[in-house]
Amino acid sequence: MTIVHHPTDELLGSFAAGNLDQATQLVIAAHVSMCPCCQRLVSAFEQLGGTLLEAVDPVGLAPDAFDAAMWRIERQFEGRPGSARSRSGDDARLPRVLDYYDIGPVRWVAPGVSLRPIVLPGGGRARAFLLKSAPGTRMLEHTHTDTELTCVLEGSFSHQGGHFGPGDFDLGDEAVDHQPVVGPDGPCLCLVAMTGKLRINGLLGRLIEPFIRL
Amino acid sequence: MRKGRDDTPWLLALVRERWRSVNKPTTKMEWADLIAAIALREDQKAYRQLFDFFAPRIKGYLIRTGSSRAEAEEIAQDALIAVWRKADKFDPGTTGAAAWIFTISRNLRIDAVRRGRRSDQMLKEIEAEYVPETSESLDAAIVQGQDALRVDAALSGLSAEQSEVIRLSFIEQRPHAEIAALLGIPLGTVKSRIRLAMNRLRDLLDDIK
Repeated sequence: MTIVHHPTDELLGSFAAGNLDQATQLVIAAHVSMCPCCQRLVSAFEQLGGTLLEAVDPVGLAPDAFDAAMWRIERQFEGRPGSARSRSGDDARLPRVLDYYDIGPVRWVAPGVSLRPIVLPGGGRARAFLLKSAPGTRMLEHTHTDTELTCVLEGSFSHQGGHFGPGDFDLGDEAVDHQPVVGPDGPCLCLVAMTGKLRINGLLGRLIEPFIRL
Repeated sequence: MRKGRDDTPWLLALVRERWRSVNKPTTKMEWADLIAAIALREDQKAYRQLFDFFAPRIKGYLIRTGSSRAEAEEIAQDALIAVWRKADKFDPGTTGAAAWIFTISRNLRIDAVRRGRRSDQMLKEIEAEYVPETSESLDAAIVQGQDALRVDAALSGLSAEQSEVIRLSFIEQRPHAEIAALLGIPLGTVKSRIRLAMNRLRDLLDDIK
């Protein structure tokens, strides 16, 4: 697997600092989990985080904080760990970053294109979903009102920005006008974080836009 | 680069003073030793040293990133409890001790935000932010260990003014314009300092291969 398209340094930095909304964080995490070179950069950012943490102005804790911590350690107050979902069939191939999330039912959004929402308990502005498109599907030329982050999990697609295969990351925003075409090699499964809406270009687009439920 | 050319002297003094106030009681190598002492023999004295240094800094970091004081206190304590519990999982070969404690604190902060600041839950198991899916990742972990040392060396080479900008941008995620206003320096200077630090980080990773 050769990953060609990566998130920007800024996005990876925000990811490492823990400052992304949940949907965005999930898509970046999916990419990073498949991309050794971004793992390296993220870990360099975490190193930076550690160095900065050492330099932050300290704010004193309550006088009994240490004793309280020891008390909890000795009594083994364990939390309830989040339980990983066990998945079977095709879902067993989903990246493990999704293990702690529920995935909603399949919904058809257009011919050959279906969507499954990822349930995000933290909410947030962006939505996350799995988007599956049949081989050879031609998406309508569209623009985004806000941003759309995509990580390819299986299959591939191409648009003016290049060819995107498993692990590749794609960012669409209002500046990008594109018409993705799914590769012939099999269905294309993507993890997508999206804020705002799609705007489909052209007269046909304006006519059918109300019927595309994305 | 001519350092601090565009800074007012009082600000420079303030930043330098702040930088010096970081009186680390031990070196980084010793942080790792303290964590090992906890893992090997539940060494409470070693733990106390880590607690006294890191807990107040985690609290400070959380307050800077928007947590309330009460929440920051709680998460700082949770983070140090996690340090105790996970001490045997710490691998000094792949990551620095401070970076490891940073990621624990960061994950707890993310978790707290997602729980909607409900405080009725006990310490939750902290999961890694991502789980490597590739076989190459094992090699990557070894390389990351080398990176950690280099990143550290490069960062200590940054000037106090640069570090301040990086801290405000990276840790506090303040917009560039706000950083410029806060430090009283031109926007272009903020951007160039951030770019310089990024390039430094990139160069560092590029030349290992």
